[in-house]
Amino acid sequence: MVFLSTVYIAPFIKGTAIVLTDMLGLTVTRGEPEVEGDLFKSYGFTAIVGFTGGWRGRFLLDMSPTTAVALARGFTGEEYQSEKEEEVLLCGAELANIISGQAITYINNSQPGMNIRLTPPSVFTGEGLSMFNIHLNSSSIVIQTEAGPVKINAAVEESGE
Amino acid sequence: MDIKYINPFISGFLNVCSLLGMKTWQRSSLDRQDTLRIEQEVNIIIGLTGETRGNVVLSMSELTARSIASTMMGGLPVEQFDMMARSALCELTNMVAGNSATNLAEHGTQINITPPTLISGKNLLALVSQIETLVIEFTGQEGKLVINIALES
Repeated sequence: MVFLSTVYIAPFIKGTAIVLTDMLGLTVTRGEPEVEGDLFKSYGFTAIVGFTGGWRGRFLLDMSPTTAVALARGFTGEEYQSEKEEEVLLCGAELANIISGQAITYINNSQPGMNIRLTPPSVFTGEGLSMFNIHLNSSSIVIQTEAGPVKINAAVEESGE
Repeated sequence: MDIKYINPFISGFLNVCSLLGMKTWQRSSLDRQDTLRIEQEVNIIIGLTGETRGNVVLSMSELTARSIASTMMGGLPVEQFDMMARSALCELTNMVAGNSATNLAEHGTQINITPPTLISGKNLLALVSQIETLVIEFTGQEGKLVINIALES
């Protein structure tokens, strides 16, 4: 079970590393995947993308509000004062969308018939932010960057479609 | 957004509430927003793919969430918004989405749904959609909640 949970996150780790390195010019260092369970405690800013098909679940791109502002600055070249600004929220959503797009393309190409499809991204910020998935274990990994730590999490079940 | 997608969600929610013993819920208002920003404490999001694509979010206060969980657990008092209460709310949303998906299929639209994710916190700000969103408010004995539906045509 632990092995399976961490296997699911591998394409998302790869996608995150590619996007943060190639698009934002950041240096990334990753830790080890950890099984998270069904409750995920956020650093304060999370973008979510769901998926259906051979794998059903959701991907989280999580970071502190400060890191969200720094990544948005790197993404657009503009200055922002707060993570609550609309463009910062949109940048977080778009990064999660691009990363999960990379990951799902890799899975669909390497495992024909999976036919995984993404939902539009959404983004949440607030105090004591947490995410809960019923009957769905997840795994996380923290990726260190110059903009601050970025935590990614994938909660997956195989639907057998 | 095509209006044909809305009624299946309204009837899906009311059917499931009735099935779970929450028979007082009624639609109290309907609003339209250019983008979906939500600021409630408890939000359960389900993503949709298939012939239409988007997100559906049930948003409510923690008080309403605990009250619904209590009714779903046979009237057992729910003092804390704990794992049991969160599970109940996710199960409710899953049932609503499943029921709505079946209703949509009967009208010729096939969709797939993601598992529900419950997001909670204080002073929440969320950007769930950049497209036109319908905000349907429901009121019942357990409190008030809104179903936000943002689907691409």
